[in-house]
Amino acid sequence: MDDQGCPRCKTTKYRNPSLKLMVNVCGHTLCENCVDMLFVRGSGNCVQCDTPLRKSNFRVQLFEDPTVDKEVEIRKKVLKIYNKRDFDFPSLREYNDYLEQVEDIVYNLTHNIDVENTKLKMEQYQRENRDIIQRNKAKLTREQEELEELLLLEQQGNEQRRLEVLQEEQRQLQAKRKNKQALLDDLEQSQLPATILLAQHKVRAAQLETQIEQQKQSVKPTSLFSTGIHMHQTVSLQPVPKIEEALYHYKPLHVLTYGPPVPELEQLGRLGYLNHVRAAAPQDTAGGYMTALACYRAIQDAFSGLFSLKG
Amino acid sequence: MFHNSSQRKYWIFKSEDEVEQMRFKANQTFRHKIFGSGKPGLSESIFLERHEEDVLFRHYERRLLDFCNAFKPVMPKSVVSTAIMFFRRFYLNNSIMEYHPRIIMLTCAYLACKVDEFNVSSSQFVGNLQHETPAGQERVLDQILEYELLLIQQLNFHLVVHSPYRPLEGLLIDLKTRYPTLDNPESLRKSADDFLTQAAMTDAGLLFPPSQIALTAILNSASRASLNMESYLTECLGLKEDKEALSKMYDSMRRMKTLVKKYEVPKPEEVNIYKQKLERIHAEVASSSSKRKRGYEEDGHVAKQPRLAEEDWTDEDLI
Repeated sequence: MDDQGCPRCKTTKYRNPSLKLMVNVCGHTLCENCVDMLFVRGSGNCVQCDTPLRKSNFRVQLFEDPTVDKEVEIRKKVLKIYNKRDFDFPSLREYNDYLEQVEDIVYNLTHNIDVENTKLKMEQYQRENRDIIQRNKAKLTREQEELEELLLLEQQGNEQRRLEVLQEEQRQLQAKRKNKQALLDDLEQSQLPATILLAQHKVRAAQLETQIEQQKQSVKPTSLFSTGIHMHQTVSLQPVPKIEEALYHYKPLHVLTYGPPVPELEQLGRLGYLNHVRAAAPQDTAGGYMTALACYRAIQDAFSGLFSLKG
Repeated sequence: MFHNSSQRKYWIFKSEDEVEQMRFKANQTFRHKIFGSGKPGLSESIFLERHEEDVLFRHYERRLLDFCNAFKPVMPKSVVSTAIMFFRRFYLNNSIMEYHPRIIMLTCAYLACKVDEFNVSSSQFVGNLQHETPAGQERVLDQILEYELLLIQQLNFHLVVHSPYRPLEGLLIDLKTRYPTLDNPESLRKSADDFLTQAAMTDAGLLFPPSQIALTAILNSASRASLNMESYLTECLGLKEDKEALSKMYDSMRRMKTLVKKYEVPKPEEVNIYKQKLERIHAEVASSSSKRKRGYEEDGHVAKQPRLAEEDWTDEDLI
């Protein structure tokens, strides 16, 4: 795989790991140094395609293929104009057609096919749909704002939780320090022997530890799942209403054959019917054929409708 | 199974009269249609009367049977009876004057081959028209395919036909198993088969269930061999207590036998006269409605008129 490099100074990523490749609207790459050098005056022509470019339009190349970068740039621009959304259309079909049209424009611009006409088309569209574009833009920004608000809220929540934890820890530290201080005070003033005092202190320290542990554990249960669903909200798990329906009762199929009863398939052999038909050859039985089947069918047919049908 | 088939529901009729009524109605409908179209120079005398139609129908039915019997590879009996049944059902509601039986009979046979899973290719099928040139066979095939959909529609898409042949087998098996009084049931088979062949040429298939026809065939065969099998009906089929069902059974058997006895082979001279009449009607109708030649392909319906202008083959070529 060939290394990426600047087409002008032939520096590659391999030789200069800090090489920064830039792309402009025409989709041709240049390294940062060359950009600085060539576009000292703020504008100039592309080395490869002579398109007039501006220095401020150079972007860092994010993708290996510079045309992708170019496409991203173009798409951003096109979507600013073509910002209709699915509910602006009466049917899904029309919306899809519209998306298709957008894709066509992006493709054409990216690959320099019929650029003039495509641009004209875009301008025309922009003129015709100015209102809708403006409206959608406003809507988009509003939605964007709402989203940001939500994010902010979440951030604030996180911050608060962090602060609480911090406070808690400090309180604990203070309690421990107090405990230690108490021991020192006791050792200084008490008449009791030091060993007893030490033992007392240990007990108290242990008590404190357990208290903290308990507190930690009791703090734990939050009211929110990580998914944002409130706990104890009883996400409707049980209240599936029981559907009262009559159970299906099997009734044996009763077929009116309009004839004398036909012996069962299994009984044909016992009743001696099979002595009077050609036995199935072994190769016939491969597919599940039995001697009784043909016999059964013949007898069924013989008896079916034997007695008068109508009236 | 026959007892829940479309055959039992829709294609078994109460009486001979009802069947005759339907045919008469078909004849009338056709007349009205032609008169309704307001063509000049038509008189009542051009049309075929019902009995004349019947003669022609029987004639073409025999041709159908001959064609099926001469068919290579040999056509199973059930296919033949299905074809004949299709033919009968078709002309219950349609007049011979409207659709020429020559092509309908072939279409019936062709469809029966498909329905009864008797696998012949279409070219193999028309290959059985041995007096036809290959080009002629091709033309016939085109016509068959053209009429096939019409036929299926006129059969109301009820394509399964229960023939009496399997019931006959079943009854023979049952006789061997449960009726030892009878010495050699196999001896009945020959004349029972003959009876079924004769019955196929009558309306029996439209009036009685196939099992009854088969039973009648066996009893008829037995009585010819002067054997009495009444005890089979009473003992084995459980009709001992049910006197009513027994008498009904005897009644249907009698009716069936009369039907078979009544059948007469159409006389060639009559057939020839009527055939000329038929051709004239068809020529008349076809010439007046040549614009509808292509039938269902145009009006999205079905072919209404046989394409006589293109039919330069006669039924003498068929077999």
